[in-house]
Amino acid sequence: MTLCQSIETLSMALLDDELVAAERRELELHLLDCASCRHRVDAERAELDLIRKALVPPPAPALLKARIARALDAEDAAAIRSERRRLSRWFLPGSAIAAAAAALVVFLGAGAPGSRNGPEIASDVQKQQRRGLPLEVQGASTGPWLRNHFAPVEPPQFTEPGADLLGARLLPNGIANHDAALLQYVVALGPNRLTLTAVVLKDLRSDDLSGGQAYRVGDLVLRVHDADGMPVVTYVDQLHHVGYAFASERMTAEELMRLVVSTDLISRAQRGR
Amino acid sequence: MLAVREKRAEFERQALVHTDALFGAAYRLTRNARDAEDLVQDSLLRAYRFWDSFEQDSNCKAWLLRIVTNTFINEYQRKKRSREVLDAASAEQDAIDGVLMHAEATERQSPEQALLERSVSDDVQRALDGLPEDFRTAVVLCDVQGLSYKEIADIMQTPVGTVMSRLFRGRKLLAATLREFAVAEGYVKPADTKPPDSPDPAGKPDETIDLGKYRAARTAREGSQS
Repeated sequence: MTLCQSIETLSMALLDDELVAAERRELELHLLDCASCRHRVDAERAELDLIRKALVPPPAPALLKARIARALDAEDAAAIRSERRRLSRWFLPGSAIAAAAAALVVFLGAGAPGSRNGPEIASDVQKQQRRGLPLEVQGASTGPWLRNHFAPVEPPQFTEPGADLLGARLLPNGIANHDAALLQYVVALGPNRLTLTAVVLKDLRSDDLSGGQAYRVGDLVLRVHDADGMPVVTYVDQLHHVGYAFASERMTAEELMRLVVSTDLISRAQRGR
Repeated sequence: MLAVREKRAEFERQALVHTDALFGAAYRLTRNARDAEDLVQDSLLRAYRFWDSFEQDSNCKAWLLRIVTNTFINEYQRKKRSREVLDAASAEQDAIDGVLMHAEATERQSPEQALLERSVSDDVQRALDGLPEDFRTAVVLCDVQGLSYKEIADIMQTPVGTVMSRLFRGRKLLAATLREFAVAEGYVKPADTKPPDSPDPAGKPDETIDLGKYRAARTAREGSQS
C-alpha cells in the first residue's frame, strides 16, 4: 500500500496531529516529492481551518455561571440539612462558639418558653434569603441609599478580609410588622465565597427578638435561631431601636456567629456604651 | 459540613473552570443558547452528584464532556420538552438571577458587530442542523473541543476507525453546506469554492477509516527492508 493510496486517511490524521513521529516524518518527506498529495493536504488543511474558525463558539453567558453556582448551593444546602438532621443538636452551647469568638461569647441559655417573635422573624428572614429578590442598589452607593430610603443606620461592615457588601433592597411587606431592608454580602470562608444576608428591622426593642439561644458578647446579647435548618443570628441595637438578623444558607451557626461578632456593629455598640 | 465545602471547592477548582468549554460543546450540539445552558447546568449538577466517582488524576474535561454528550443523547434528543414549562422556569430563574448578577456585568457588543456575528453564526448553526447526530458529535468533540480520536472513541463508545469516518464525513458535509451559504449570500464566488476531491461524504452509515491498515503495511514494509 503506497502513501498515495492512503493519502485521504493520512492527511486527516496528520492535520489532527494523530500520527506518531516516524509516520509523520515519512509523510512529510513524501509530500516534498508528490505534488498531488501535497495539494490534497493543502486543500484539506484550508477546509479544516474554515470549519474550525466557523465553529468557535460564543463564551458562556455570565448568567449561566451564576445559575450553576445557585444550583450547586441548593445541592449543598440539601446535603447540609440532611447532615444536620442526623445530629440532634447541631451546635453545642458554649464550646465551639466560645472557642471561635475567642472566649468573647458566653452562652446564656435557651429562650423562654412561649416567646414567639424571634423565631417568627428568623423564619421570615430565612424565607427572604431564599427568595433572592433583585437588589435596588449596588456597591458603594448602598450606605447613602440606606440612610435616604430606610433609616439613619450604617450597613454593618465585616472586618474579616474578603467580605463584600453587594447591595440592598427594601422588603415591600416588611417583616413581622416592622419595616425592613435587606443587605446582601459575599463572604470568603476558606476557599469558598458564600452569600450572607442581613436584614435590618425598624422600631425594635430587645424583647422583640426573644427566643432562640442567647449568647453574651461583652455586654451585648446575640441570639441564634434555627430557621428550618438555616442558622439566623439576631441582635438589637437598643440605642437606635434597630434590629439586625443575619442568615447564610451554607454556614454553620458557629461560622455565622463568628462573622457577626466580627462586624463593626458590635464594636460600635460596645464603644457607644 | 466541612466535607460538603471541601467537595465544592475541589469541584470548583477542577470542574467549573471548564464551564466555557462545556457551553461551547453544548451550544454546538443543541444549536441554541438556551438549551445549551440547560444542558450544561444539568450536566454539571450530575457531575457534582457523582463527583466521588471521578478518578482524580484523569482528564476532568473529557469526563465532563462525556457527561454532556450522554446527557444530550439521552435527554435533549429524545425528549422534546414542553416549551411552556421551560419558559415559566426560565422567567423565574431570570428573577432569581437578577440578584446574583450585579457583580458580573456583561460586556456589550456594538449592534453592528452583533448583527455581523449573528448572520455568520446562524449559518453555522443551520449547517450543523443538517448533520446526522453522530457526525455532529464527533466534529464538535474534535474541532470545538480538541479531543483526540481515542478520547472521542471512549466518549462515543465506538472504535477509533468509526470516529475517523464520522469525523471525515461530518467535516465534508459541513464544509459543503458552509460553502453553499457563503455562495448564496455572496461572500464568495462559486469558482472559489471547489472542494478537495472526495467521494460522496454521506457514504454508508458507520463505515470505518482504517489507519490500522496503513500501519500494518508500513510495519511489513520496514520488516522486509531490514
